[in-house]
Amino acid sequence: MSASGRTRRAAAPLARRSFLAGTAAAAAALALQGCARGESTSAQPGTTSLSNDNATWDEGYRSAGRALKAITGSALRPLSNPSVTSYQQVVQMTLQTSKASDLVKWASGYQLKRLARTDGLTDLTGVWDRYVSKGWVRDASRDAASYRGKVYGIPLYESYYVLFYSKPVFAKLGLSAPGSWAELLHCAEVLKRNGITPFLASQVGGWPAIEWFQELVTKVDPRFYQKLVTGQASYTDAPARRAMDIWQDFMRKGWMTSPDFDQARGPGALKSGTVGMFLHGTWQAQGMTAVGMKPGVDYGACILPTVQPSTPKSVIAESGVFVVPRRASSHGAAMANVGAWLDPSVQRVWSDFLQDSSANPTVRSGNPVVAQLQQDIAREHRIPLIRYWEASPPSLIQGNTDDLGGFMAGQTSPATTLRRMQERARDEWAAWRRDEA
Amino acid sequence: MAPAVLLVVAFLLAPFVWTIYRSFFSDSRTSPFSWFDNYSRFASDPALTRSVQNTLMWVVGTVLLPFVLGLAIACMTNATRWSRAARLCVVLPYALSGAAVAVVWNFMLTTDGAVNQVLTNLHLGSLAHGWLLTWPGNTIVMILANAWQATGVAVILFLVGLQSIPPETLEAGALDGAGSWQQFRHIVLPQLRPVSIIVIGMSLVNGLKSFDLIWVLTQGGPGRATETLAVSMYNETFLELRPGVGAAIAVVLTVIVLAASWLYLRRQLDVKGE
Repeated sequence: MSASGRTRRAAAPLARRSFLAGTAAAAAALALQGCARGESTSAQPGTTSLSNDNATWDEGYRSAGRALKAITGSALRPLSNPSVTSYQQVVQMTLQTSKASDLVKWASGYQLKRLARTDGLTDLTGVWDRYVSKGWVRDASRDAASYRGKVYGIPLYESYYVLFYSKPVFAKLGLSAPGSWAELLHCAEVLKRNGITPFLASQVGGWPAIEWFQELVTKVDPRFYQKLVTGQASYTDAPARRAMDIWQDFMRKGWMTSPDFDQARGPGALKSGTVGMFLHGTWQAQGMTAVGMKPGVDYGACILPTVQPSTPKSVIAESGVFVVPRRASSHGAAMANVGAWLDPSVQRVWSDFLQDSSANPTVRSGNPVVAQLQQDIAREHRIPLIRYWEASPPSLIQGNTDDLGGFMAGQTSPATTLRRMQERARDEWAAWRRDEA
Repeated sequence: MAPAVLLVVAFLLAPFVWTIYRSFFSDSRTSPFSWFDNYSRFASDPALTRSVQNTLMWVVGTVLLPFVLGLAIACMTNATRWSRAARLCVVLPYALSGAAVAVVWNFMLTTDGAVNQVLTNLHLGSLAHGWLLTWPGNTIVMILANAWQATGVAVILFLVGLQSIPPETLEAGALDGAGSWQQFRHIVLPQLRPVSIIVIGMSLVNGLKSFDLIWVLTQGGPGRATETLAVSMYNETFLELRPGVGAAIAVVLTVIVLAASWLYLRRQLDVKGE
């Protein structure tokens, strides 16, 4: 009995050790395989990998990729990570590896500058200059794609921040798209009187809190906005205070949805007639189509009027960019693809998918509402302004966005909110300039 | 033993030591050594002060509610005919992930959500408001949502404890003339002490590290009003892009969790003589 007992006692640890060793070896093998990142981003002839944070665009990338392949021989292979936060971490980490994605979708402005200063991106100045010579990109947006004089991003699209409105609701109430501030207020009053919330405003997900702030400041004084986001004006100055007072007045009158209204429900709310106007990027046109609304029939769009008739007209523009990591697995193919991305034949397919305006000004949007906006913006010589999210150092924007969310929830007054934003601006601009020095 | 130690060192201790090291460096581009600057933000940043307040509220709420509710439900469903069904109803939420619970409660608590619609239909519209918008109400409703989920495991543990109580002790008490309350107070409760220690200890740690429900429901907002230390750690590191401050919060949170757990368990186990 004792002998067999010893045998059992001796056998058990051995089996456990073997099991542990086997498991550890398997885990190590899996980890090594994972670290090698052999599958997703390694070179695959005939395609270039594309890191993307919007999975609903994958089909569009594939379609545009087929048009690209006809020019460069390489299609697009989208790799999506729909969580923006984790996407940013993954991109920043993979830039340091030897198998970075070939193309990466990124934000422009200071978000791009922050990524470019890691020294992990390819200089695309030559590509940009060739596009300019063909008239396929607006050179006015060069700064938003540059860092220290070199271009690091090629525009992916160009969206404008506009007021979508429900055409059937407006027609039923005898309203038309507001062309002046007085008309905007009239529309809001009539909508409210008829039980419809005039404006969609949200802070769900964080960043939407910037939408009304940037829009109202630019419609009070666009030149002030330009100074504000470059650190040359104070958040406590009169134009910012005026914008916040208007915003608070709108909220107090019940003209805006509750701040916890998820704007993903915006198109549905517009269709059902519970919300009258939806301030958002023109890329939302795709969402309108998704709920069965036809452009020009079920919805229209206009740019928020200026508060004073004499105020210069402006429009907030948002442009994502493609960047090429220096250590991209198929660097040559990636450069060929960014060099052909703004080709009209590619942009035709991409713009039709996105239902939005192309970054190539020669390509007219297939969506009649967006096409009309493009035409109006050009005709009225509106000042293009970079979206707030990309317009200042990221840490400053993130903190100020939190403050605006608090303001929307009624936690802070306009004066307190602006004071906090200015304090942060002072600190973050000093930090950014110190880092740059 | 060696592989286990190696794994703990590689995946627990080494990152922890690195986190402590990182917390003493600035978040500027060159990351110079900055002594306790990152820790000093606890005194100067109102968002972190609020985060500490919220964490304390979470600890109190997640310890008290699951304990009281768990004990009450376990006692009430211990020996009834419908106890199995009742227990299932209470325990079921425990099987759900925090994110799924948050999605359900988001449907309930938004301004145009189910709770306000019910109140309006009951002509109690004056009580309807944005439950997730104003502090401290938003933190309190999230603690209640968490209790809805966390009570299940407390019920299971208390039921195990109740079923291990020898019936003779209760019979002896009854023969001595003890009423129901006296039996509960002087016979049942003392015998549930080991289980209570586990329930409170688990709730304490869960309260201190609560993250998923808050993140899905409010992302710590609006205006960082509902952040706990765990959410602040994530927010500072990944959204505000200040990994040094995030590391300092992580260190403080870890110290609090370890100290609270150690003090609580040492005291409880010492009293029991183990």
